Amino acid sequence: MDMKQHCVKLSVQPSRGLVDEKFTVLVQNLLPGFQLTIHALHQCEDGHSWEAFAHYTANATSIVNVSQDPSLGGTYSGVEPMGLLWSLRPVPGSKTGLRLRKMNVQTPMGVTISVYQGHQKEGFLDQVLLASVVVERWYMAPGVRRVPITEGRLTATLFLPSGPGPFPGLLDLWGWGGKLVEYRAALLASHGIASMALDYLTPKETGRMVDNDYFETAYRVLEQHPQILGSRIAMLGLSFGAGVTLRMAVYSKGLKLSCAVCINGSHVQPIDGPLEQIMTYFNKNVEKTRFDEDNQLICRDLMLPIPTDPSLKVDVGRLQCPLLLVVGEDDQNWPTYESAMDMREMMERAGNSHLLTVLSYKNAGHLIQPPFTPFTRASTFKSVTIPPFTMMALWGGELVAHSRTQEDAWRKTLVFLRENLYGDMKPGALFSNL
Amino acid sequence: MIALGGKMIPCYTVQRNLACIQRTVGGVHWTSSCRPAPLLTASPVCALIDDKISIRGHFLPPRCPVTVCAQMQSDDGDLWEAFAHFNTNLDGTVNLTRDPSVGGSYLGCEPMGLLWGLQPAPGAREGLRLRKKKVETPYVMLMSLLKGHVSPSERPSTELAAVTAERWYMAPGVRRIEIRQKGVVGTLFLPPGPGPFPAMLDLWGMGGGLVEYRSALFASRGYASFSLAYIGHKDLPGPQNRINVGDPYFKSAFQLLQDHPQVYPDRIGIIGLSFGVYLTLRLANHSDIKPSCLICINGPAGSTIKLRDADDRTEQMENDQKYWTYDDQGNVSFRAVSLPANLSPESKVKLEHLTCPLMYIVGEDDLSASSIENANLIEETLSATGKSQLFTRLSYPGAGHLIEPPYTPNSRVSLWSVKPQKLATLWGGHLAPHAAAQEDSWKKILEFMETNLRH
Repeated sequence: MDMKQHCVKLSVQPSRGLVDEKFTVLVQNLLPGFQLTIHALHQCEDGHSWEAFAHYTANATSIVNVSQDPSLGGTYSGVEPMGLLWSLRPVPGSKTGLRLRKMNVQTPMGVTISVYQGHQKEGFLDQVLLASVVVERWYMAPGVRRVPITEGRLTATLFLPSGPGPFPGLLDLWGWGGKLVEYRAALLASHGIASMALDYLTPKETGRMVDNDYFETAYRVLEQHPQILGSRIAMLGLSFGAGVTLRMAVYSKGLKLSCAVCINGSHVQPIDGPLEQIMTYFNKNVEKTRFDEDNQLICRDLMLPIPTDPSLKVDVGRLQCPLLLVVGEDDQNWPTYESAMDMREMMERAGNSHLLTVLSYKNAGHLIQPPFTPFTRASTFKSVTIPPFTMMALWGGELVAHSRTQEDAWRKTLVFLRENLYGDMKPGALFSNL
Repeated sequence: MIALGGKMIPCYTVQRNLACIQRTVGGVHWTSSCRPAPLLTASPVCALIDDKISIRGHFLPPRCPVTVCAQMQSDDGDLWEAFAHFNTNLDGTVNLTRDPSVGGSYLGCEPMGLLWGLQPAPGAREGLRLRKKKVETPYVMLMSLLKGHVSPSERPSTELAAVTAERWYMAPGVRRIEIRQKGVVGTLFLPPGPGPFPAMLDLWGMGGGLVEYRSALFASRGYASFSLAYIGHKDLPGPQNRINVGDPYFKSAFQLLQDHPQVYPDRIGIIGLSFGVYLTLRLANHSDIKPSCLICINGPAGSTIKLRDADDRTEQMENDQKYWTYDDQGNVSFRAVSLPANLSPESKVKLEHLTCPLMYIVGEDDLSASSIENANLIEETLSATGKSQLFTRLSYPGAGHLIEPPYTPNSRVSLWSVKPQKLATLWGGHLAPHAAAQEDSWKKILEFMETNLRH
């Protein structure tokens, strides 16, 4: 059946939002039984196009509400309010191994949401387009200030929430890929936490890897900032950054953390000697890495089995601040689950397990990111080792489970941070599901 | 955990200790080196002007006086502000969607009161009216949470938290196109998408110039909309204080819309405010102009100005002055000018040709136009010709002349600059009822457009 174009009304509310804000996609004035496809299109900063789409059939109410009605097929199915974002994938014909990351947080991610007649799967440009709107997704809320840090050797950007403060502070660390990745820190500042994105793998001085004093310098910048509460500073790390976070939380005299969040990382690392030693340790075990049938590199076995030698693990039994571990059980890059189990055991033996909260998610992979970030099971990865190498890293995870994980973990991370940085602190596990 | 005397102790213990100290010395513990500042949130933080927002304060002491204030700068650089006094809940929160204001710019539970309650800040210029000139940029609102029941001037010493929100007239993807074609002066706003779109012709009053914000908002809601200038614009012919265009001009504007490739030619409505009502009715009266619907807000069905059926200079508007009345502050009310008895009989629009629905919106406290009387006149005229089913009236007690998109402040009086001398004109409208009228009428306007332009 044909739909009169002037009738169809497409609206997305809000049309401008933060990346972790939900939106409602509503298509109105349809004829009952009308078949349509809702399509999302985004062109990322390096020029690649990403798309998602879903098939709907209007029922007797002549409305399709993505938050309430099931998708009958497409890049997601069932009732998925935000499926149009988290199921975004490179358009057919794109390069393999792509990953969607916003490097410039001062501009929004623009997504075009369109309604096409019929249940379409491809060739959208040639189809009958009924309606289209543009949605902006921002990592920075209005009033958030982006402050490049010029202190010393630091490669960092500080994001300050709007308002007078003082604000709690946070050091935000990513993993092996290096580069100054700002988006999570920008988003945390949009939630009231002054956050510093810190690049520690591409140091300004050539050759030497940074050591503890680098992080202590970053911490001091936060502590001494007039708008930051020096007594309420947290650290958050993903992947290798999680290991660094644990190391600093336990051993650094210069850092007094209010709490720590570790996403898909491990406590396994040589603790004597400089940070550089960790690289050596991994290189020694490199033959434990393997390739799957698609030639994607699985690194998780590098650190397995979890050593019993105490000099090879951060002694989390000595931890004195609350710790949140976010675990993707299908992490193919790091042995996150095994590490989390070992950490729990160590803390139970030491008597500080009341500080530990573990969020463990089935079928979630390594890259647990802010909500609605498109899922990537594997992507091209360039390490910062010398010499650098590029390979197709398998991150793991399954689309739907991983996307749910991102939403749930982020919400609980924000609650954990707020409880420990803003209000009264409740000792013990908040959301343990183990 | 905090370090107290070199020893790490859980913070809740310290909190309890502090609480003991508090009981001894009294007073409410707001901020300290131990506990950081409370939080103020607004959601959505970037919204369209006609979107509601939810404003909340968190992590406050329970049952404590707080002030939430909003500050915004107009395009002209004037500062507008509003504030409301609350008492926090037992859980240490304040929520403007749930809690009543006990003092300030408004009283009672009004989720959007900080927006429609905005007033020029102390020390501002006189006679201001808030109107957005640049619709491509948002209003930036700084909202603050203050300690105690205070006024915004005490913000520097009492501020606990703040949040910045943006208020937009244009949704992402809306296109703004300046039109200077065939002598027609206006701005066209097109929604995002392939088109074609149903459309509105947007007419304002004798204040003149080119008022774009309502059109921008219509486009953000899926309608092409064309703001038309007809007086007081540099690109129009003749002296700026007179109407120098006639029927052909308005017909050209309507036809321009019809001919536009992204507009449905048979799905065009007309909206007019104030004198724009007369223009709307006059235009619709032409047998070859067939709008799908008409929306008339607080305006006359006739005129004391003789509009020509050719593009020509109109007669002086000073003739109106005999109908002006003044209050004891010297503010002028134009209300009597548009009393049906004072309108020239031949100017009264004969609505016999009307075939489309007409919605008339009345602010019962309109001090600038005789809206009630003109609504009656139109209703009677239509009834007499068996067309009463086309007429819908919305009537709002306490609302004034300037019924505009919602959540924007009303000016009961403002400086009027079109006339030769500087005058302050009375618009009417009391704060809360006028705000309610704007909210309700806007919703009904969009529903009316939906029914008549989309189906």
